[in-house]
Amino acid sequence: MTTSLPQYDPPSVLEITDLEFRYAGGPPVIEGCHLTVRSGEVHCLLGCSGGGKTTLLRLIAGLEQAKSGTIHVADFLVEGPGVHQPPERRSVGMVFQDFALFPNRSVRENVLFGIRGVARKDRVTRAEEHLDRVGMLEYASRMPHTLSGGQQQRVAIARALVRRPRVMLLDESFSSLDTATRIEVRAETVRLLREAEVATVMVTHDPVEADAVGDRVSWLDACCRGGDADPEACVRR
Amino acid sequence: MTPRVGVPGRSWVIAAGLACLVVAVPVAVIFSSVFRSSGGEWQHLSETLLPTYVFNTAVLAAGVSFLAGVVGVSTAWILTNYRFPGARILGWAQLLPLSVPAYLSAYAMSDLLQFSGPVQGWLRSSFDLTAGDYWFPEIRSLGGAIYVLSFALYPYVYFAARMAFQEQSRALLEAGRMLGRGPFATFWSVALPLARPAIVGGLMLVMMETVADFGAVDHLAVDTFATGIYRTRFALESPIAASQLSAMLLSSLFLLVGLEWCLRRRRRYHRTGNRGNRSEGGILGPVGSVMAFIACAVPVIFGFAVPSGRLLQLAIGRGDTRSGEMLAGIAFDTIWLALSASVIAVFLAVIIGYAARIRRGLRTSAPAAIARAGYAIPGPVIALGLLIPLGWIDHRINDGWTMAFGDEWRPGLILTGSVAAMLIGYQTRFLAVSLSFVQSGFQRIHRNLDDAARTLGSGPGRSLLAVHIPLLRRSMLIAGLVVFVDVAKELPMTLMLRPFNFDTLAIRVYELASDERLEEASTAAIMIVVIGMIPAWILVGQLESSTSSHREIES
Repeated sequence: MTTSLPQYDPPSVLEITDLEFRYAGGPPVIEGCHLTVRSGEVHCLLGCSGGGKTTLLRLIAGLEQAKSGTIHVADFLVEGPGVHQPPERRSVGMVFQDFALFPNRSVRENVLFGIRGVARKDRVTRAEEHLDRVGMLEYASRMPHTLSGGQQQRVAIARALVRRPRVMLLDESFSSLDTATRIEVRAETVRLLREAEVATVMVTHDPVEADAVGDRVSWLDACCRGGDADPEACVRR
Repeated sequence: MTPRVGVPGRSWVIAAGLACLVVAVPVAVIFSSVFRSSGGEWQHLSETLLPTYVFNTAVLAAGVSFLAGVVGVSTAWILTNYRFPGARILGWAQLLPLSVPAYLSAYAMSDLLQFSGPVQGWLRSSFDLTAGDYWFPEIRSLGGAIYVLSFALYPYVYFAARMAFQEQSRALLEAGRMLGRGPFATFWSVALPLARPAIVGGLMLVMMETVADFGAVDHLAVDTFATGIYRTRFALESPIAASQLSAMLLSSLFLLVGLEWCLRRRRRYHRTGNRGNRSEGGILGPVGSVMAFIACAVPVIFGFAVPSGRLLQLAIGRGDTRSGEMLAGIAFDTIWLALSASVIAVFLAVIIGYAARIRRGLRTSAPAAIARAGYAIPGPVIALGLLIPLGWIDHRINDGWTMAFGDEWRPGLILTGSVAAMLIGYQTRFLAVSLSFVQSGFQRIHRNLDDAARTLGSGPGRSLLAVHIPLLRRSMLIAGLVVFVDVAKELPMTLMLRPFNFDTLAIRVYELASDERLEEASTAAIMIVVIGMIPAWILVGQLESSTSSHREIES
């Protein structure tokens, strides 16, 4: 079910081959999944609920362990036979549906959380640089619950990007925003991700959204797990 | 970045497994005694005292469950559904009996109601009676023990029932009324069945506390398993027969816990309709108000006002003649012992709770289940189950020392001769308490936060320290406080495991009260009651916040 892709410029950053996953004793949730995402590319995953979209993201992030198959991130094997890199050691960032900002930390501290092994001054500079890029620098001292949905979303993007991941996972990350904010924040996010040359996998249930931002679109559901399709084909479906 | 082979979070699984050994080892030791010979003592026991133990324990457990159940459920129903003057104060006053441990209540009530006590003395002088002229219920009896324990323990049922009634939708009760049932029939056929799982949970706590009670039944001269185990171990000097008694008691307790667990699994009610659209309750007329007030005030008077009032009166009137320096020393020892035990209990609970959170499966849910079972083990049984293995370890240490360095000096009994044995024993029984608070704290933290921390480069350890612990602070504090109080008033295990010359407030009270020197015991007893008010106060906060959140939704 693989569409083989040319391996030249831009290089593929995320490569998934023949991935399988099932919960103990249950039927396979993901089976025979192949996916390749290149740097700077946005790959949308469409599918009905319960089709395994979020599970695939959690497998890429290392939050679940695959039964078989391999995942490579930037040419490193992170998931495969006898190999399971824990999430903190993969170069993968994730933006959750409810943003998952730490409620007890300010906006600045949320972004600082992911930067380690650097002097405090440099960490703060880097965090504030990223907050500036998403237009949230003036809110740096605020607590997450005082922000609107769109603002929380921006902080979550900055927090994920500050670690300079090679792969970014967006799990229905815009679905909780109102239409106007969604379109604005989505365009901004995609621009940032392309600028940072991150390979992005975005899960959505909205074909129009997939069409608007996806360079490529895959359809993932109970009958057809994995496989590539071009955006147009998918929308028609 | 080198690929790593292995199971994530394995060290947490191992740590959780080790932590639950504090419960698993004593239980295993007790049950292994079944296969050992006690040299005829078991047979002697089973022919003489065992039937008494079985009868008294069963009647006591059934009687206390019935009385505490009726009192707890009816006060909870009245206070949830009716408004009358004083209802609010009575609502939280129902939890005050929790601050008077059953043994203190037994000391105070027997002091008041015995032949030489003030009540009978007043009766004789007022009506010019002498001994034998009149009948008066004997407090030092099975009935007396049921009375004392019921009014000391009913708040557990009250709290569970009140929380359940408060969550019930008004629409359900109104539907009952519209379908032709009166207020009582609606309560009986709609509200009570819905609240039954919670009420049964409260009754289980009451039953476990009743079976585990030592101080009250010992003072009221009722021979139960708890006193039997203590006497077989220390008076008959037969640890194996005592263990066999314990194994018999434990089997029936675990059977009961298992039964309740199965029933609860099958009967889990899902809320239909809006959460919390609960009425403020009907306003009662003057006669109804007086009756409701009396019904809710009497349990507080019996369970709290009378016993603590009598102790306070004795403490003010005479008190401990050696209070001051000696009592201050004992209070200080009690506080640091309870503080150490509660810090350890919270630490172990966080490990077990976190392991179960990051790795779901039998290997992490089993330690949590084992730790929770610890609360069902009565104190004397735990003490017995620990003395045997810890004594064995102590002797091996000394033998090893002698072999290596000669016998000029020996380290002595490192575990059984120090507070170490007590600290381990408290974990066996109270780890369940701290685990339940810590686990409910973990449940309130959304799992996405774990995943976010992991994808932001934190391993399980740092996630716990940087994300969970700050969010768990309140739950950990409450868990620590409740364990602190439980340890401070714990009696039978402390009595059996304490080193020589080490007294807690509870031991001081027990020793003085056993010598019929209740006036002197009263000072330390009042200190225990004051410490015991802490958990009552925490539960009041939970009830209040549950009530106010319902009011907010309604308005």
